[in-house]
Amino acid sequence: MAAAVQHLSGHEAIAARYHDVDPVYGETRDLRLLGFVFFLLSDCILFSSFIFAYVYLRISAPAWPPFLNGHQLPWFDTSFAAMNSIVLFGSGVTMHFALENWKHLNKAKFNGWLIATIVLGIGFLLGQAHEYSVVGISWTGTTMGASFFTLTGMHGFHVFVGVLYLTILGLQANRGVYTGSKYFGLTAGTLYWHFVDVIWVFLFFLFYIW
Amino acid sequence: MSQSPSVVRFKGLGPGFWPVTAVLALLSIANAWYFLYGNIDWIMPGSSVPVTDRASDIDGLFKFMAVFGNGIMIFVAGYVIYFAIVFRARSTDSPDTVGVQIHDAPKLELWWTVLPTLLLILLTALSINVWYKIYFGTKAPALTMEVVGHQFYFEFRYPGLKTSVFSKTEPMHLPVGVPVRLLITSTDVIHQFWVPEIRLKAAAVPGLVQNLNFTPLRAGTYDIACSEFCGPDHSLMRGKLVIEPVAAFNKWLDTENKAAAAGGGALNLAGGSAAAGKALFAQKCAACHNNPPTPFDQKLVGPGLLHITDDPAHPTLVTGKTPTPEHIAEILQNGFTGPIGQMPNRQANGLSDKDIANAVAYLISLK
Amino acid sequence: MHTGTSTTHDTHDAHDHIHPPPEGFVRKYVFSLDHKVIGFQYFFTGLLIMFIAGSFAELVRLQLTDPNGAIMSHTAYNEMFTMHGTAMVWLVLIPLVTGALGNFVMPLQIGARDVAFPWLNMASFWILPLAALILFSSMLWGGPHAGWTEYPPISLADGTAGALWCLAIFTIGISSTMTGLNFMVTIMKMRAPGMTWTRMPLFIWATFATALMNMVATVALSVAVGALFLEHVFNVPFYDAARGGSAVLYQHMFWFYSHPAVYIFIIPAFGVVSEVLPTFARKPIFGYKMIAFSSMAISILAFTVWMHHMFPSGIAPWLQLPFMILTYAIGIPTGIKIFSWMATIWGGRIHFTSSMLYALGFLITFTFGGITGVFLASVPVDLHMHGTVFVVGHFHYVVAGGAVMGFLAAIPYWYPKATGRMLNERLAQLGFWLFFIGLNGTFLPMHWLGLEGMPRRTATYAGFAKAFPDAVFWNQFETAFSFLMAASIGLLAINVIWSLRHGTLAGINPWGARTLEWTISSPPPYYNFKKIPQVFGRPYDFDQPLPYRNTDNELDEFPEFGRVLMPIPQPVGAGA
Repeated sequence: MAAAVQHLSGHEAIAARYHDVDPVYGETRDLRLLGFVFFLLSDCILFSSFIFAYVYLRISAPAWPPFLNGHQLPWFDTSFAAMNSIVLFGSGVTMHFALENWKHLNKAKFNGWLIATIVLGIGFLLGQAHEYSVVGISWTGTTMGASFFTLTGMHGFHVFVGVLYLTILGLQANRGVYTGSKYFGLTAGTLYWHFVDVIWVFLFFLFYIW
Repeated sequence: MSQSPSVVRFKGLGPGFWPVTAVLALLSIANAWYFLYGNIDWIMPGSSVPVTDRASDIDGLFKFMAVFGNGIMIFVAGYVIYFAIVFRARSTDSPDTVGVQIHDAPKLELWWTVLPTLLLILLTALSINVWYKIYFGTKAPALTMEVVGHQFYFEFRYPGLKTSVFSKTEPMHLPVGVPVRLLITSTDVIHQFWVPEIRLKAAAVPGLVQNLNFTPLRAGTYDIACSEFCGPDHSLMRGKLVIEPVAAFNKWLDTENKAAAAGGGALNLAGGSAAAGKALFAQKCAACHNNPPTPFDQKLVGPGLLHITDDPAHPTLVTGKTPTPEHIAEILQNGFTGPIGQMPNRQANGLSDKDIANAVAYLISLK
Repeated sequence: MHTGTSTTHDTHDAHDHIHPPPEGFVRKYVFSLDHKVIGFQYFFTGLLIMFIAGSFAELVRLQLTDPNGAIMSHTAYNEMFTMHGTAMVWLVLIPLVTGALGNFVMPLQIGARDVAFPWLNMASFWILPLAALILFSSMLWGGPHAGWTEYPPISLADGTAGALWCLAIFTIGISSTMTGLNFMVTIMKMRAPGMTWTRMPLFIWATFATALMNMVATVALSVAVGALFLEHVFNVPFYDAARGGSAVLYQHMFWFYSHPAVYIFIIPAFGVVSEVLPTFARKPIFGYKMIAFSSMAISILAFTVWMHHMFPSGIAPWLQLPFMILTYAIGIPTGIKIFSWMATIWGGRIHFTSSMLYALGFLITFTFGGITGVFLASVPVDLHMHGTVFVVGHFHYVVAGGAVMGFLAAIPYWYPKATGRMLNERLAQLGFWLFFIGLNGTFLPMHWLGLEGMPRRTATYAGFAKAFPDAVFWNQFETAFSFLMAASIGLLAINVIWSLRHGTLAGINPWGARTLEWTISSPPPYYNFKKIPQVFGRPYDFDQPLPYRNTDNELDEFPEFGRVLMPIPQPVGAGA
């Protein structure tokens, strides 16, 4: 087998892409980015599986909302959830600006937008807490409660972890862990936050529109 | 060492390749002959005289697969052994001897992809044909009946029969030559109704009803087995299926109806023997109720029965009724489900009328 | 800018940096970041649990020597087969083939110094003893009873033990997912310069296909058992029919993972066979591209066939058809592999090492299991065979006769690389014959017993034995032969431990093999490669010089079979 065409592969290819920046960093960043994307993919499967369960149960139910003790459960209130969704999507926008500002070496603005994101995230969680208290169904009574609380609860847990994560990133950024060219943690945090938003789009549609 | 290694040489596809291939082909033909024309009752019970029409269809599929599947196995095992022998390294080889340096053979690879694919397409068509008959039937069913799974017995319900038939005490019956539809479900956990000679099974799932369609062809008595794990006594959940001529089947239905009408009224509790009841208690009740009987609060699975008729702390039975012989008999007949727990009914416990009378006599004799 | 043809130190890629060696017993052997040590840890842990799970199986077999149950109650028996299956699937098979084999071999074969995320790798390992602890602790509460599948509603009767079962499976799932992720990134990003996808060893293709399934499918299982856990502990109604739930839903989610799981067991074994056969037949693998492609095809198709485990279970009849057809379809790439492997040994010069014996035995027993799988794939025939011991026979042929055999072929093959010593060949060959004969004796009769009418998961079979009195003889026959398999694994453990001290010194390349791990010392230094080698061809051409440059050691251009002592360096080697 002759040594005909030399293809660049593996870390050779990555080093070629980052040769003018810092090939060592580039290599590590590429690995971590791919790893993080795969992590988000597996998280996607987590939500997809529970969504499959919800859709299966809902389609096979004789009535929706289902009956409990002779009474049909109430539909969800779309308007409040819509407002809460805007809060969450807004936090996605603010996070985008936070990262952009970091890339343009604007630390003060970065801090501002990041704090706004965290505040909006907490706001969404408080909104969910309110929603849980007024929704009028229980976790264990029917499959409607089972799927609603489990799915939105998992999502809320992801938002909660995200709030903690963004806080830690903010503290690290201010301590000088990241520079204008090396800020993979911030990229990962932004990706994670957008992921949480995208999942909510699906959940909102599945519980409040459908 | 930069000298090229010596590549082995041999004629054609290997010494003795074609004779070996011929032997393997003969073995395959013998296998095919055996499965198509031989008696395979020893692995597929009832295959020589099919018990139902679907059984005969399924056996046909099985034989098709045995012919080709076993044939492929014969060639794979045969060639692997042959290659291992013929292409073994010899002690006279130089240490750098290597085998024939081929990487692929496109025409061969095409054949060994296309032929199995064609075979599988054929198998698909044959399978779909049988599949349709099983789930949708070929004629409208003349007899539709229900099979209900319980832990650990089957309940059979027939149209026009007032009570159910329970696998612990009686066989299921089906008439020869009549297209049958079974509606299968469960009241507790997942079970599976299976009669090997019929070749069909369906899961008995709580909340779902499945259906199977076939026409019995041969009279006889066959085993029913539960084939989905359903709890501690799963391996004991068996029964019998009797397939009989239409006249005998109708006669059986009649007898069942008469017995149901007669036994539908109050049980005759007079003549129950306390001594027999005591023996019965040890045999059937002691699994859940302390023996010798104890006060109510000394529970095993169920409460102690020592003071069942005269306990000031528990003046009524768990059903809320007064502890008369008739009310006690009711619990034995129907079982009980409530906060205190679950007691099986008479069918699950395998209690005859006499048993109930004896048990009641024993219980009311306790003080 | 470099092109890869020059020797490479002008690009400082991260993998030119060799980190300082780990110090202290804990850093070196307990919380090690080194993929080789982690591989050993998985190996010994998996082997230990295999002994426990195997003992449970022997108890199961002893029980069945008497149709009324020889040694234990129904409940105890149910617990035994459940724990056997659960432990074998999640705590033995996957850790051994992915964790032990994948971890040890994969980075060496691609010319990397470690996996992409070594810390994650270490964490993934330590989850295994944790999950094992949780699973075995469930036995203090009576243990789970409903089989390794633990279907609700019956599994809900397992109470605390059932909830612990769910927790254990959820926990080990995290390990599998993370390992899958780790391996995928490693293979995609860390191959040696010049090792394009079509120059990778087939074991790497297999590891990649497996890692994909591990990463994607396992999470579905976590959801299935997670929901079951919620139902156990908080009474949340996913599966309870009375409140609108569905027991069949569990089966869908469970099997969506568990079918790919069986390919997770077998595809690494396919990879091992693809390495072992060429090396010991001294000729290239036949049909490299088709074997690589079929591994990927199987890993994708694996996600599309799960309902074939559910044909009689209550799915709508029309759904059975596409799954039947896809299950047939998955047989085609598998068949192509078998035929390609047969063509690989055709015209070879075969050395019957124990490794090769296992690989040859694999060709026979795995094919047999694969063919009985085709029987089960046909819906009408499956309606007869489902839930009988025929299925138990089928899957033990593909798992024990396929995955385990492949793993057993890998041990004598890579043990010299891992430890620097050869396994005792005679003991290993004896082990092969015991295993091969034991396997066939134990699992072949199950096929006709199942067809005759013996259901699976039965603590007693007196009713069946009344109709088929031979059943007693065959069950006793199977029990007797099962002890041959047990003896084989026992001998393997003895061999592995004995050879650590007393085995012949192996040298760099005792087999005359051609993949990258055979270019470094046995055992390799902690950093694997001082200089990352360059690859300019596939490894399987025995009549061509080794396709590597910039290797750490001077190598023979045409490595010979059977050099078990350290080679004297040759003046002309595989340099520029």
